[in-house]
Amino acid sequence: MRPMQSKFHTHRHTVPSLNVASMPDLIFTVLFFFMIVTHMRSDEVKVKLEVPQGTEVKKLTNKSGVINIYIGRQGDKWAVQLNGDIVTPEEIPARIEELRATMSPEVAEHLTVSLRADKHTPMGMINDVKQALQQSYALRINYSGTEVKQ
Amino acid sequence: MFRKRYRQQIPELNTTSTADISFMLLIFFLVTSSMDTEKGMLRQMPPPPIENQQPRDVNKDHVLSVEIDAKDRLTCDGKEVTPRELTNEVLAMAQVNPTGHVVTVQADRATTYEAYFRMQEAIVRAYYTLRDDYARKQYGHGFDACNAEEREMVTERYPQRISEDMKGGER
Repeated sequence: MRPMQSKFHTHRHTVPSLNVASMPDLIFTVLFFFMIVTHMRSDEVKVKLEVPQGTEVKKLTNKSGVINIYIGRQGDKWAVQLNGDIVTPEEIPARIEELRATMSPEVAEHLTVSLRADKHTPMGMINDVKQALQQSYALRINYSGTEVKQ
Repeated sequence: MFRKRYRQQIPELNTTSTADISFMLLIFFLVTSSMDTEKGMLRQMPPPPIENQQPRDVNKDHVLSVEIDAKDRLTCDGKEVTPRELTNEVLAMAQVNPTGHVVTVQADRATTYEAYFRMQEAIVRAYYTLRDDYARKQYGHGFDACNAEEREMVTERYPQRISEDMKGGER
């Protein structure tokens, strides 16, 4: 018998396995963080658009009473999309009324329209939309843009 | 002796895949949600004009007429300007006569939105500069740091007096 070899056999050196039990907890924390700071993208944008860039843009604060209007290209025509559907500027006042009826009075008071328009949109189109909004007393408009540093 | 060597132990649950599952959830949320990136210029429009309302007369000296033509050329009182020069013009006008001046904005129907956006931005920047300076002088901090009451005082001192109009082209 060789005592030395038998000693080596009993105390074999193996790489200790890493304890990963706390990893799911960590990832769950990150997950919850994301769930809280983000909001679900509610409507699918059907028009192609690229918002203009600017230096004076600020964050839109209250998200509750916001109506999204997208103006962009659909095929080779300009189209207006209100929340989820393509509309014509004439339909906007009725739509706004409908949406306003579903809001609580406090929220409706701070109703904001977020206008996300493509930078090549002719102003005539934008103006038709703005006039429609004016008719329905949706007077707070947020001209969306991406921020660039000076 | 035999029992001691092969002691019955509760087998550990294999939790290696929990991490993968939560990673998948995390990625799902990252894809379907958008971060707080909604940015823009907040503007207040005037209410719709009442029928038979007479337009108010303003002294010509206190009017700054800003126009953009169909080719996106920005003009201020007849001469072509860059947005930066426009900021200075508005600044000068509003500083001299904070509550009596009017900036009239006219855009052609064929103007692109980008040109209009730049023009709006130039005007906003002018007013913001004035308000910020005033807030610093009165309250010792910038306009962004003001509370609602101070903000109201400042905006009362330097109101935005902008009148918008549209011209050219047929609907």
